[in-house]
Amino acid sequence: MKSIKNLGKLFLLLLAFCLLFPRYSYAYIDPGTGSYVFQIIIAAFVALSFAVKVYWHKIKIFVVRLFSKRKNEG
Amino acid sequence: MKVESTALSGSFRDPSGFLFWDENRLFRQVNETYREHYDQLIASGLYEKLAGAGQLVEHEECDLKLACTAAAYKIIRPTLLPFISYPYEWCFSQLKDAALLTLAIQKTALEYGMSLKDASAFNVQFVHGRPLLIDTLSFEKYPHGRPWVAYRQFCQHFLAPLALMAYRDIRLNQMSRLHLDGVPLDLAGSLLPARTRIKFSLLSHIHLHARSQKRYADKPLRSKQRPMSRFALLALLNSLENAVKKLHWRPSGSEWAEYYGHTNYSDQALEFKKNLVADFLQLLNPRHVWDIGANTGVFSRLASQRNIPTVALDIDAAAVEKNYLQCRRSGDRFLLPLVGDITNPSPGIGWENDERISLLQRCPIDTVLALALVHHLAIANNLPLAKIADFLSRFCRNLIIEFIPKNDSQVRLLLATRDDIFPDYHECGFEKEFQRYFTIERREAIAQTDRILYSMSSRVHAGK
Repeated sequence: MKSIKNLGKLFLLLLAFCLLFPRYSYAYIDPGTGSYVFQIIIAAFVALSFAVKVYWHKIKIFVVRLFSKRKNEG
Repeated sequence: MKVESTALSGSFRDPSGFLFWDENRLFRQVNETYREHYDQLIASGLYEKLAGAGQLVEHEECDLKLACTAAAYKIIRPTLLPFISYPYEWCFSQLKDAALLTLAIQKTALEYGMSLKDASAFNVQFVHGRPLLIDTLSFEKYPHGRPWVAYRQFCQHFLAPLALMAYRDIRLNQMSRLHLDGVPLDLAGSLLPARTRIKFSLLSHIHLHARSQKRYADKPLRSKQRPMSRFALLALLNSLENAVKKLHWRPSGSEWAEYYGHTNYSDQALEFKKNLVADFLQLLNPRHVWDIGANTGVFSRLASQRNIPTVALDIDAAAVEKNYLQCRRSGDRFLLPLVGDITNPSPGIGWENDERISLLQRCPIDTVLALALVHHLAIANNLPLAKIADFLSRFCRNLIIEFIPKNDSQVRLLLATRDDIFPDYHECGFEKEFQRYFTIERREAIAQTDRILYSMSSRVHAGK
């Protein structure tokens, strides 16, 4: 009976561990630790230029409005 | 067990399922473990979107009774492809188009809450002149925050060989034959010229990527890895797309790509030869054709324009590149240009030499065009005529072959730097050896030349 209780505790502990530290389920191919870490770094780097590309139209409108506002004020 | 007797030899790495033959019909078993991903692929509309766009192979669901194992969730029947080719048989632009297709599919998949779990170049085939993803089980539910698991594979299968071909030597497409899981990035980095280090895309995705692989070699992935936003993933894909698009290779000055610019016969003789080949094809009405030594595909088009599936094989990557670009421009649906050397055809490679099958296993074929080829085999490669005839008789049912005698300037050129050790290389010798294996159906002299064009039928395949 005691051993069943212990097993139950162990199960709860494992469950809590899994919930606290979620792991990604990796694919059948090896993503490679170096590749995995590197893409996060390089993605952060290229995200800035990508953001400019994606939001270029909005940035352009914002800048045009900003300058036209100043001109009107002047 | 059925699975052992019929499963495709190259379909074993992914536990999501496998391909198998059943009574000459090709099926794919989708395993229970892949259920949620397959259901999302269908329910999300991603399959319909990609198949409708001609980017993913179409399939139909079949009776589960066809299952090979108890692990089956679904049995699907993909559209059968006319021919399977491998990345080491593609020219530069074919590999580039396959890379861009993979990235385009990954971007679409993200819109539908899915992601590619692999990015193998072997998952792409050329069908009707366009690249097509043939692995229906390559998709998985996209777990938010997770980096792209196939990033390493994409760089090794596509970016590294393309960069090597563009910056070092076009013949390095053969690296994919040596390294089945793509060119190792440290090797690619060491072979690429120093100037690739000042190109941001190659500096990052190849050189620095290789250093990161070295630094983290044998280190496990931490369970609490920093997440990567969907936006950052899209930025990475955009960066890879730019890297691929910026790679160019222009075929020029190679021996064969300029072949038709300085052939030794007149325009009239060329036209005569084209009409003759067209006549022979008309009579044979083949189901499929292989043009061996096709160069830029001038004669291959005589078959493909008749809607006959045609493979145009040539040793020269520049000629194949020109051929492919022309196919793409004209939207030729029946011509597949490939890089290959018939004196050293692609072998069976991978696990048990059977994972990627040899070129000759992907035969026999109906009709072979062997125009201006025999003198290269017999004189440049010292292949006895009997061996050539024997091989071709097993390789095809019908043969359209050109014999070029020693007095032709092309043959004189081959003999200019070596002893003539070919006393049997003449018209009678050629016919004598080929008649042992073939029946000569037609024999026509090509006007304004000393060349002869034959139409023959194989004795090996007669009655089969």
